[in-house]
Amino acid sequence: MRFSLNFVKEFLEVDVLAKELASLLTMSGIEVEHFQAEGNDWVFDIEVTTNRYDWLSIIGISREIASCLHQKLKIKYPKIKRTRLLKEKKIIIEDRNDCSFYVGSMIKGVTVNSSPSWLSQRVQHCSVNSINNIVDITNYCMLKWGNPLHAFDADKIEGDIYIRRAKTDESFVGIDDKERKLNKDNLVIADNRKVIALAGVIGAKNTEVDERTKNIFLEAAVFSPLTVRRSRRAAGIDTDSSYRFERRVSADYLEYAVGCAVQLIEKVGSGQFMGICAGGSKSSLKNKKITISLSKLNDYLGEIFSNSRVKSILSNLDFDVKEISRDKLTVRAPSFRFDVNREVDVYEEFSRVYGYNNITPSIPFLRNQIQDDQMYKFKNHLRRILPLLGLREIVTVGIDGEQNLTKLEQKKCITIVNPLKQQDNALRTTLLSGMIKSIKHNLNRDQHNVKFFEIANIYFKDKNGYCEEPVLSMGTSGFREDFFRLKGVIEGLLKYLNIEDINFIDKGKPNFTNALRVVSGQKEIGFLGKLDKKIGEAFDLKEEVYFSSLDINFLKKLHKQKKYKSVSAYPIISRDISIALAKTVKFEDVQQIIKEKAAQLLSGVSVVDVYEGADVPKNCSVFTLRIFYQAQDRTLLSSDAAVLHDSVREALAGKDGIDLR
Amino acid sequence: MSEMDKEYKILEENFDKECQVVFSSRQLEDLRVKYLGRKSALAQLFSKIPELTLQEKGVWGRQLNILKQKITTVLEEKSRAVKDEEETMDLTFPSYGKEMGSTHVLSAVSESICSILQRLGFVVVEGGEIEDEWHNFAALNIPLEHPSRDVFDTFYLNVKEKNRGKYLLRSHTSPSQIRVMRESKPPMAVISPGRVYRPDEVDATHSFMFHQIEGFAIDKDINFSHLKGVLLHLVQEFFSSDVKLRLRPHFFPFTEPSAEVDISCIICQTPNSELRTKNSGSKCSVCKDKGWLEILGCGMIHPNVLEACEIDSKQYKGFAFGMGVERIAMLKYGINDIRLFYENDVRFLDQFT
Repeated sequence: MRFSLNFVKEFLEVDVLAKELASLLTMSGIEVEHFQAEGNDWVFDIEVTTNRYDWLSIIGISREIASCLHQKLKIKYPKIKRTRLLKEKKIIIEDRNDCSFYVGSMIKGVTVNSSPSWLSQRVQHCSVNSINNIVDITNYCMLKWGNPLHAFDADKIEGDIYIRRAKTDESFVGIDDKERKLNKDNLVIADNRKVIALAGVIGAKNTEVDERTKNIFLEAAVFSPLTVRRSRRAAGIDTDSSYRFERRVSADYLEYAVGCAVQLIEKVGSGQFMGICAGGSKSSLKNKKITISLSKLNDYLGEIFSNSRVKSILSNLDFDVKEISRDKLTVRAPSFRFDVNREVDVYEEFSRVYGYNNITPSIPFLRNQIQDDQMYKFKNHLRRILPLLGLREIVTVGIDGEQNLTKLEQKKCITIVNPLKQQDNALRTTLLSGMIKSIKHNLNRDQHNVKFFEIANIYFKDKNGYCEEPVLSMGTSGFREDFFRLKGVIEGLLKYLNIEDINFIDKGKPNFTNALRVVSGQKEIGFLGKLDKKIGEAFDLKEEVYFSSLDINFLKKLHKQKKYKSVSAYPIISRDISIALAKTVKFEDVQQIIKEKAAQLLSGVSVVDVYEGADVPKNCSVFTLRIFYQAQDRTLLSSDAAVLHDSVREALAGKDGIDLR
Repeated sequence: MSEMDKEYKILEENFDKECQVVFSSRQLEDLRVKYLGRKSALAQLFSKIPELTLQEKGVWGRQLNILKQKITTVLEEKSRAVKDEEETMDLTFPSYGKEMGSTHVLSAVSESICSILQRLGFVVVEGGEIEDEWHNFAALNIPLEHPSRDVFDTFYLNVKEKNRGKYLLRSHTSPSQIRVMRESKPPMAVISPGRVYRPDEVDATHSFMFHQIEGFAIDKDINFSHLKGVLLHLVQEFFSSDVKLRLRPHFFPFTEPSAEVDISCIICQTPNSELRTKNSGSKCSVCKDKGWLEILGCGMIHPNVLEACEIDSKQYKGFAFGMGVERIAMLKYGINDIRLFYENDVRFLDQFT
């Protein structure tokens, strides 16, 4: 909201600099975002919190400034000519819950013209457009007193005034020239034939004041915040009027606003006041008494305050304060304060004015009945390990397109009711698409060689409604990256986590060529693979991408505390075997045979050489294995090793597709 | 001069000559084979000894051994020299490259804030990102249709609703804290880091997904002064020990009193900050010469919230605070566009290794 200092001066002498005033207001809870000089005036851009309807008016702002400066407001209340009743119109309120009070005033013989400069300046400095003298007067009074007003061309109203719900399929053209279909959620102002305003939001084109207007019907009312909110949301507009009604408008100053407007219309628009008609009643409820205890206030804020300090601060805010005992006070907030209902609200008012910054900070001794989230700890552990394996963490957004996702993952995705963009309408079922986007971003900027990981949740529908699971994804691309490097990263991760008994099973995965599933017992905990060319093309990737996804819940379950196992002090004997392996046989099979035959004396197997050359038989791979033999309890004799090694050779030689060289 | 003498002389001269033109290990090895190998001239001379007289045997035996010793020594010296020569290389040549990983700056900032608070006694509890209306709004004293909800605009989900209202993506991490308050008993002091979502159009300072850290403490004697102490400690540990704190009155439905918290500008107002830049007379680009930077919101937990969590608000009090991780990371590292966090450009990530 904006307000002007000259406008405030209608209520109060202000003799502090604009800069000082801005800082005073900011520290009292009216945050000044910006202020600047406009001619001989100062304009302040402020943020008013939703609990303070009373600050949405110049009188409210002035009251706060007066309290900051320890001054009193000088208010000239306009005279209300309540006695002259208008007989020609009746006000019919269908439901008092929608509209508790409605006042209509008739002013005849007006001249609609442009506003005098003081008036147009007042409204413009509060960032309201100047339209004509009549509209500007209604806005001026709204700004000044906080009650929205609306002026109808009285000659275009046919019959009485009805405040009622719209009928289904009734339609309405606003002064913004837009047509809107209405329904029974909309509260409207209507005459005998038509809708003439969307209550509290916007007037209708059909009764708009223009330069031919002679007679004015002026509306002031209290509409229910909820109905105004619903109407303006459905209508898709936010007006100065709806903004105030939504935050709840008080009836306290309603008649002053009307009186003020009538006087001005008579003076500026040379009209003549004919009388008022009203419906409902001005329900000026007093706020209830709240009993507060000084010792509780001290406990709440952590500082000792004197009885007199508390009383003076609250009284200065127009609270009615009575001392019951040394410790207890009863306070009653002024009627325009809708936000003070409980003791804590009084504590807030006191501390706000006393100054949060005057309260001494202290460190509490914190006690807990609960412990750290183990999953948080585990994820942080992963975040420390993966960079050691050369991976960089990325963060990508959790929202994606349903179309994209169904290309990548079979899980059923959860769609968003109100997406920002139609192409981003679902929660991700896989971290793959974010990985692809990030890798692509880098490739397109000549940043090759990427090794990424992400830790985030995936979401999908299941039989219980929905499921949200933490996942670790890894993606690599670049001239140094290939399948086996990524496999090595996973092995490294499992080593760090002390997870044993994991198998890599060569079983395809949709969208991947050369995929291995990572399996523990019967349970698949993830996979790794090379992204299929078709998918790569679909996402316009220019390089090969290797990707892995692992279920963090399982990793956490399998992750074991490290425990020392004794290292054998006896020497290792190693023996080499050169093998030509046909494509029909897997390395895994070779390993299995060695494991079976060498049993407890086997301490390791590694590939020490791979042959590539003209003499390698077709459809074969040729390599040398080094097998390590060792006993835990004695020095192994070379004859012991020889016996074992011979049986390993024999078994290998006996298998189809394995040739010893 | 005997035949033996002649051959000896030639051998010695040839060796001395050939030694001069040896520059590589391979040439040296050839030389070694030529002069010390089984078929070398020296071996041939040795083979002639049995044919000599007893007196000559003694003389030549000694002499040939001296020569063999000399050749061996020279070759060894030469070998050392050649190896040294060969070892010498251009050490300014680039390495094979560094294989370094990194955590994302958002994780690093979040972790660092959490660990400062953990040392004060807070525990970390994460929660789910899919929530329901009750936990995201109602329990936090945010009425269903009220302007105070507008800042918490929310993505709703097509998931069949149960008894706690419609499902949505949490618009703050507070619902996770509500779950802790309901499931555990006070005293407690908890922080919840995590992702949150709000349907904001993306620009340099807005993203529909961002990260928050929220914290609360509930006990019988918790007060507003404690809130200030914890926050002061946090910002001074995280930014710089001379950072000042300022609390401005504000409104949040879930706290009373509520405050927005500023720190003195780390660019132009804190003398010891590493980020401090010399004032060149122009406006401070970060605080726009206001001198203060807004970093978080806080307050004493509203009794309505405690009551919604079945905590006796007459016995227990609490404070709560919440901050955006992106905002804090942007201030700390001078990052000017929120979108950089989610693009994952290697040149960005690399700077936080």
